Amino acid sequence: MIFSTLEHILTHISFSVVSIVITIHFLTLFLLVDEVVGLYDSSEKGMIVTFFCITGLLVTRWIYSGHFPLSDLYESLIFLSWGFSLIHMVSYFKFKKRKNNLSAITAPSAIFTQGFATSGLLTKMHQSAILAPALQSQWLMMHVSMMVLGYAALLCGSLLSVALLVITFRKAIKIIGENNNFAFSFGKIQYMNERSNVLLNTYFLSSKNYYRYQLTQQLDRWSYRIISLGFIFLTIGILSGAVWANEAWGSYWNWDPKETWAFITWTIFAIYFHTRTNTNLEGVNSALVASMGFLIIWICYFGVNLLGIGLHSYGSFTLN
Amino acid sequence: METLLNPSKTPNLFIPKTHLFKPYFLHSNFNPQPHSSFNRRPLSITITCKVKTSQGRKNDGKNISKKIVLTDSAPELSNEEIKAKPKGGGKAWGVIKKFPKRVLAILSNLPLAIGEMFTVAGLMALGTAIDQGESPEYYFQKYPEENPIFGFFTWRWVLTLGFDHMFSSPVFLGTLILLGTSLMACTYTTQIPLVKVARRWSFLQSADSIRKQEFSDTLPQASVSDLGVILMGAGYEGLNFVMGDVLGPTGFLSTPTEAFNTEVHVNKFYMDYYDSGEVSQFHTDLSLFDMNGKEVMRKTLSVNDPLRYGGITIYQTDWSFSALQILKDGEGPFNLAMAPLTINGDKKLFGTFLPVGDTDSSNVKGISMLARDLQSIVLYDKQGKFAGVRRPNSKLPIEIDGTKIVIVDAIGSSGLDLKTDPGVPAVYAGFGALMLTTCISYLSHAQIWALQDGTTVIVGGKTNRAKAEFPDEINRLLDQVPEIVESSISKKPDNIGG
Repeated sequence: MIFSTLEHILTHISFSVVSIVITIHFLTLFLLVDEVVGLYDSSEKGMIVTFFCITGLLVTRWIYSGHFPLSDLYESLIFLSWGFSLIHMVSYFKFKKRKNNLSAITAPSAIFTQGFATSGLLTKMHQSAILAPALQSQWLMMHVSMMVLGYAALLCGSLLSVALLVITFRKAIKIIGENNNFAFSFGKIQYMNERSNVLLNTYFLSSKNYYRYQLTQQLDRWSYRIISLGFIFLTIGILSGAVWANEAWGSYWNWDPKETWAFITWTIFAIYFHTRTNTNLEGVNSALVASMGFLIIWICYFGVNLLGIGLHSYGSFTLN
Repeated sequence: METLLNPSKTPNLFIPKTHLFKPYFLHSNFNPQPHSSFNRRPLSITITCKVKTSQGRKNDGKNISKKIVLTDSAPELSNEEIKAKPKGGGKAWGVIKKFPKRVLAILSNLPLAIGEMFTVAGLMALGTAIDQGESPEYYFQKYPEENPIFGFFTWRWVLTLGFDHMFSSPVFLGTLILLGTSLMACTYTTQIPLVKVARRWSFLQSADSIRKQEFSDTLPQASVSDLGVILMGAGYEGLNFVMGDVLGPTGFLSTPTEAFNTEVHVNKFYMDYYDSGEVSQFHTDLSLFDMNGKEVMRKTLSVNDPLRYGGITIYQTDWSFSALQILKDGEGPFNLAMAPLTINGDKKLFGTFLPVGDTDSSNVKGISMLARDLQSIVLYDKQGKFAGVRRPNSKLPIEIDGTKIVIVDAIGSSGLDLKTDPGVPAVYAGFGALMLTTCISYLSHAQIWALQDGTTVIVGGKTNRAKAEFPDEINRLLDQVPEIVESSISKKPDNIGG
């Protein structure tokens, strides 16, 4: 009883703190003035509070359910949210000096996942504390935590890539608008391929464009870093899953939908890295691949569960 | 003799021999064959030139009348072949020599590799979208020709391309093999030279080589076949539990190990339940007996806790409802076989049917019994209305449509999977290496080179990670360099976290 109350309180605290943080983010976004620098710092403190709240929430759940809190969709969503705030914290403490645009991605991601997890859709799942026979293993901790952390990092990274795409295309449209005489004949795709040349030109055009160029470069770099991190987690997660499956069922790989989609995700991000080895394809094209990866992660994480088939069906919705 | 008949393989060695041995024993065999017309071809090998000169003379017509014409024709044969082969072989060899390079260039092409990966991903996605392993009728119905999906996709596509068993279909495996060869080609053309260069410059490692190599390591895992799966006979204990058939024989029989001379005996199969009634765990109490009937091992298996004995692993993979034992109006007990009913999702449901009244009529009616697990049986009457729930062993009778039924017992069956796989350590080692190398590939590594040129110091550097921060870092470091000219060339490796 005390545990569920505690859990309740922690959920609410973290949720409201994150919503305040988001509000502050929007304020800083729209006002763009120096007076809100102090506000920005307070938002960072808010994220720290959120992080500890979610950690407390997970620990509480762990204690009272007696197993690692990753057995169903609700818990994995909370864990995903925790993963987002963890990434936020790490990037905050590692690059303390500089404000980075990663926080603009992690904070909303954290609130959305948490909002979804605590929303009415999944209320039935909150109490289900049973663990399916196949999940009763120490591998659960390794496999699922790695997978969810991997998802969190990959989602962040691919969202940054989506942001890059949005900024690039907006700029492309703008340039087309500004330079009617040449841009239309080029077309967008050509523009994409010759982005660097165009950017060199625009570099001298105005300082605003230079700032944008810097921003896209920064986004590109950050998404690459975060995706690299997520890729490690995903690799370890898939491999530990294979080892676990071999221990529990006697086969490494069953081509179960969830496994297959995890592998598709892995393939897509492998493609992402390969596109980056080619300097012609770097930037926008790799960002396209990453944003494809964004959709595929969601299919892997939710879509497969919606179908509720295969060996990984214990995380599925019970909408009855 | 034989060496002469086959001189093309190592032509240089045999030519002098033919020349020497010819007078002694060759002439009688080879003279009928007129090969002189081929002699004008230029010889590419110096030793054979001598032979040619003698033949050249002969071909002028002067030598034809000679006694040794016949003996001369013997080397002609050998020479002709010697001459022809190296030349043709040289051409072919050139083509063959160029061919792998061309193939390598095509295979190691980056867009091709990316395309292959996209294809693999797409095929896998398709494999999850199309239900796998159904009967052809299912696909006829699901993908009819009259109403094709996307205007073209019918069952013909599914069955012709083998999409009903996607993950073993030739299309999918072919793409995987192509991708594998691409990776190998890339390793050969790009990675190994990179490593060589890296070695020369004494770099720690090249990140790309590790990242690219790991793909070839992952794929085989998907198709690692179980080396042997053996079916074992059934065993009974009392009326309580039936040892089910071994589920999922997925491999082929290979050379059996010593441990195959073991009898597996199921002592007991039981399940644990949560308070809510859901299955928490299922266990099988197994005994292994050797051929003399001596028990060599006894263990209770459960999911995630397999039994290992002499290279064979027995897994608890599944359970099923074998039969329901009932008393009908005090008669019996009868064993009613339970059939698994498929419903959405993974939840199990079993059902059986007890006919009541005239069993010969075409429209047999009776009592239906359904069960999700071995704990409780739900009974329905002739009209399909809910009649009641009974637990096995409760001995509590239930009367439906005038028939008194006592459920005596629920007989479960244990699904065991037997496997022997000597490759496990290798696969695990591969997994470990892959994880380790993936992590290593993200280690940051930077090199800074400085060259003293008069009073100026030229500084250059490169890094594998954090490329954008690297110049800032270096600038900051260089700012700290005092304005004293150093006279030595220094090489300073530096690690910068990224």
